[in-house]
Amino acid sequence: MYSVIKRVIFFIFLIGIWELLFRVGIWPEYVLPSTVSVGKTLVNGFHDHTFLIGIAISMKRIAIGYGISIVVGIFLGLLIGRIKIFEETLGSLISGLQTLPTICWLPLALLWFGLNDRAIIFLVIMGAVLSITIATDTGVKSVPVLYLRAAKTMGASGWKLYLGVIIPAALPHIVTGMKQGWSFAWRSLMAGELLIVCLGLGHLLMIGRELNDMSQVIAVMIVIVIIGILVDRLFFIKVEKRIRERWGLVKA
Amino acid sequence: MLESIEIENTIDTDQIKAGSKPLAYKLNDIQPKLCIQHISKTFLSKNGGVSALEDINLEVKEGEFVCIVGPSGCGKTTLLNIVAGLEKADSGEIWISGRKINGAGSDRVVIFQEAALFPWLNVIKNVEFGLKQKGINGSQRRNTAMEYLKLVHLTKFQHAHVHELSGGMKQRVAIARALAINPEMLLMDEPFSALDAQTRWILHFELQSIWLKTKKTILFVTHNIREAVCLADRIVILSTSPGRIKKEFSVDLPRPRDDNDVNVAEYSTRIMKELKAEINKVLKCEMDADSCVECDIKCTTEEAAKTDAGGGI
Repeated sequence: MYSVIKRVIFFIFLIGIWELLFRVGIWPEYVLPSTVSVGKTLVNGFHDHTFLIGIAISMKRIAIGYGISIVVGIFLGLLIGRIKIFEETLGSLISGLQTLPTICWLPLALLWFGLNDRAIIFLVIMGAVLSITIATDTGVKSVPVLYLRAAKTMGASGWKLYLGVIIPAALPHIVTGMKQGWSFAWRSLMAGELLIVCLGLGHLLMIGRELNDMSQVIAVMIVIVIIGILVDRLFFIKVEKRIRERWGLVKA
Repeated sequence: MLESIEIENTIDTDQIKAGSKPLAYKLNDIQPKLCIQHISKTFLSKNGGVSALEDINLEVKEGEFVCIVGPSGCGKTTLLNIVAGLEKADSGEIWISGRKINGAGSDRVVIFQEAALFPWLNVIKNVEFGLKQKGINGSQRRNTAMEYLKLVHLTKFQHAHVHELSGGMKQRVAIARALAINPEMLLMDEPFSALDAQTRWILHFELQSIWLKTKKTILFVTHNIREAVCLADRIVILSTSPGRIKKEFSVDLPRPRDDNDVNVAEYSTRIMKELKAEINKVLKCEMDADSCVECDIKCTTEEAAKTDAGGGI
């Protein structure tokens, strides 16, 4: 509770400095807008549904892209983690591609798909899939041998062994990978939306720039940050903690 | 009391003739549940050295409780894993009820030193795991699982998560989980060695009562002679490097037996005495070469208790 109070005071202080700098009037309003106008833009944006539509469109893209990433990432991770030949071939490709910044896929995406949704979703997938693959691979490799032996002596084999034992046992790692994948996906989505004009939060940012409306730029940035925090804090950190407790990785 | 205890060296290598198939036992009318034939295997022991099992031959009758006792590194766990089908022997064969085994199967469920319960499932779902693999439907699965949970007195904890259970409770769930699929035999690999003395004492009673109720064939590996005497019909002593069957003892004490019972203690001491040479051999391996520790066991119950506290041989 105490840390929350400290945090609130810090942010009030920050906003105060910002407002003070605005009042001093060193910079024109299109460089540094007032806190009030940013607040108004935020309220208006939600009121006339512009921001809501932007959020909905961005969320739809990330849901599709991130959803595909999870399925493909876990599948590839299982292949690399369990089958030697894939580890030696596909594994090296994946760890090589991991060094490539996601935005470098943009030219390729534009040529393959054009300036549209599919190119953005492709960027989201390329952002998230590698983290999830690598985490799944690590998770699969660290599944306790004891679980596999116990499952085998109880007659588990084939896909039942994968679904019933290997994937759940690797889940703590997979969730960590998903968390990292989410933040990469979110960044890639914004990068894609900034460069490919087709609605979404990133596009709202660009509209702000085109209209010289600094209030909108900052307001949209705030929305993007808040969504990122909400998903990370309210979802992933809680899920991760619960799984680690249940799996006996930390004392509850 | 000692007179009533029958210690015999029953190992007789001629009993199992080279190359004879267990089918031959049908002629004798009693087919052994488990038949271990000429098993040999070289393996890396925990301390990094190379150990070996050499020509192990053993038969376990239907409903018999057999303990394999041996010093650490003698290959008793390896032998159990070979029977389970989790490890392959270099040579030799394992037969269960007249069928030659090839790989792991739900007819021989293993209970490990750590319970190996799945933390993503709650207690009842853990017990249901093996039944699910067999494709048994939901309600039937739940009923069978509850039945076995009742057997280990844990119905109250059916919805608990694994991390909420104590070590002893985990092992009881593991036993219920193994029994639920109605295997032909249970293979137990030092299942109680990680538990405290109190819990172990309770579980010795519980396992005996389960065995008396279910009449399962049990192959139980331990390094603790007292535990073996407390549980087994027959004790098989493995020697170390090379791992061979050194001796067999049958235990003919009334059940349920108590670890602290005088007869159990006396019996343990007698076995311990017989194994003096073996214990010394292990001590020499484990200690520095310049030390000349001799393990001198006197045939008294107090001595047995002390040695036992040290973890058997």
